[in-house]
Amino acid sequence: MNLFVAAFGFGLVSMSVIAIAAVGFTMQFGITNMINLAYGEVMISAAYLAYYMNKAGISIWIGMVAGALFGAVFSFLLNRVIYAPFMRKGTANLGMVIVSLAVSLMISNLLLPIVGYYSVSYQEDAGRLIRLGSIVLTRDQIIVIGIAVVLMLGIHALLTYTRLGKAMRATAANPTLARNCGIPTQRVIDSVWLITGALCGLAGVVAALNADSFAIANGSAFLITILAAAVLGGAGQPYGAMIGAVLIGLITELSAAAWSPEYKEVVAFGILVLVMVLRPQGLLAKRGALAAAG
Amino acid sequence: MEERPAPSLRAEHITSGYGGVPVIRDVSLAVGPGEIVAVIGPNGAGKSTLLKSLVGILRVTGGRIMLGEADVTNHAPEDLARRGVGYVPQVNDIFEPLTVLENLEMGGYLLSTAQIRVRVGEVGNVFPQLPPLLKRRADKLSGGERKMLAIARVLMLDPKVLILDEPTANLSPKLADSLLSDHVKRLAGVGKAVLLVEQRARAALKIADWTSVLVSGQTRLEGRPAELLERQDFEELFLGAGTSTPASPEEDDDKI
Repeated sequence: MNLFVAAFGFGLVSMSVIAIAAVGFTMQFGITNMINLAYGEVMISAAYLAYYMNKAGISIWIGMVAGALFGAVFSFLLNRVIYAPFMRKGTANLGMVIVSLAVSLMISNLLLPIVGYYSVSYQEDAGRLIRLGSIVLTRDQIIVIGIAVVLMLGIHALLTYTRLGKAMRATAANPTLARNCGIPTQRVIDSVWLITGALCGLAGVVAALNADSFAIANGSAFLITILAAAVLGGAGQPYGAMIGAVLIGLITELSAAAWSPEYKEVVAFGILVLVMVLRPQGLLAKRGALAAAG
Repeated sequence: MEERPAPSLRAEHITSGYGGVPVIRDVSLAVGPGEIVAVIGPNGAGKSTLLKSLVGILRVTGGRIMLGEADVTNHAPEDLARRGVGYVPQVNDIFEPLTVLENLEMGGYLLSTAQIRVRVGEVGNVFPQLPPLLKRRADKLSGGERKMLAIARVLMLDPKVLILDEPTANLSPKLADSLLSDHVKRLAGVGKAVLLVEQRARAALKIADWTSVLVSGQTRLEGRPAELLERQDFEELFLGAGTSTPASPEEDDDKI
């Protein structure tokens, strides 16, 4: 029983990591209509940036901020330089998925000669252990959970209370009508790539910090878990992605306790397949694109 | 004969379409302040294409569009909104996942927060049905409420020119009549230039100051509604286009 309670604790950390990543991924899709399969590679690139900073003696928390900034700029440029020109030419959604897959392969192959095949890890003292009953978490894990909670509340506030957030939802719902209202949709979409890119970069560093070690191949593994959470919640739904992250995080950690941590990605992929079969629209699909909370 | 006002919006011999194939050719029309201009015609005549060209959604390949003295041909929709052109499309006319209040806020996106608050109150006076619904999600509205919201959203920027694409589509005859004869007429009464595409031609003719008949992408007739109704070729145009016959004078809201 204690094993499962401990697994629940790890699940809290996992769901936090997945939530940060999945909300960014699903917002990219919900607002720009782009299924960005290069998301995992941007995450891992940010994780490596933080790794080299950390290796140079810089705190991982500063590396995390740098990773977020890197993710924001990298994602913004990916859209402006590669995705947007294809979209302007009228490339269909499936074509855009293939473009993003190509970008993903290019990033990993460009990174490979720089970072190598081998796994690396951050030089970070995880801090003292904090016990909450049978749940034992490190200081760093508590901080990661805190970051995720603050970010999720921030995203909720952005989408619900700010003019930019409402314009994002309006653009997601009906881009032509948004332009007819005078909303500068191009600027809104640029903001979306910056914000979701920052979430992506930050998620990369947090995921790498949460793992014992990471390697370049982890980018695609991240993507499977993120896809599972995003699809489970309802593609394009930030609140759905949060719920999806909670479920995927808990289920994968409990399954790791029951069987083996080796099967975490298999379980995530299994959930993805099950959702596609049983409820392809996801849990919150009825609420419509980027629906208001509450 | 009463003179028409100086045009707020003027299309001069415009040609436009989809994928390089023209749907409307050499179409001209004008609408001035306080005037209602109705564009009528059979299905597929190019009425919606004309409106989309005027608001910058479709590219104009010939002719020009003047807003007052400014040439706004192929200007972006957001620029035209900034210059005072409001457009209510026939479908997808509101942001469904947003609340009524959020729809109005997006309609007033170019205003300051304080101005938005004032305008929400003002458009609430124009459509008193909306204020009690401000927190409701827009996709939960009835057909009539939805259309009022679509027009109210456009009114947030207090546009000089109001372009309405079949505002009565999917409304009951009673609601359609009320929308046209009460709200649309009142908007023209406060000085807005209203350009209206309508399938309910007879209802449109009742409120219009000027009417343009579009058939197969070209203007075939135009004039004051009373004059058009007296012309024999007016009915023949619709019969020739293979659509339903004009409604009898006794009928109120039938489509032509």
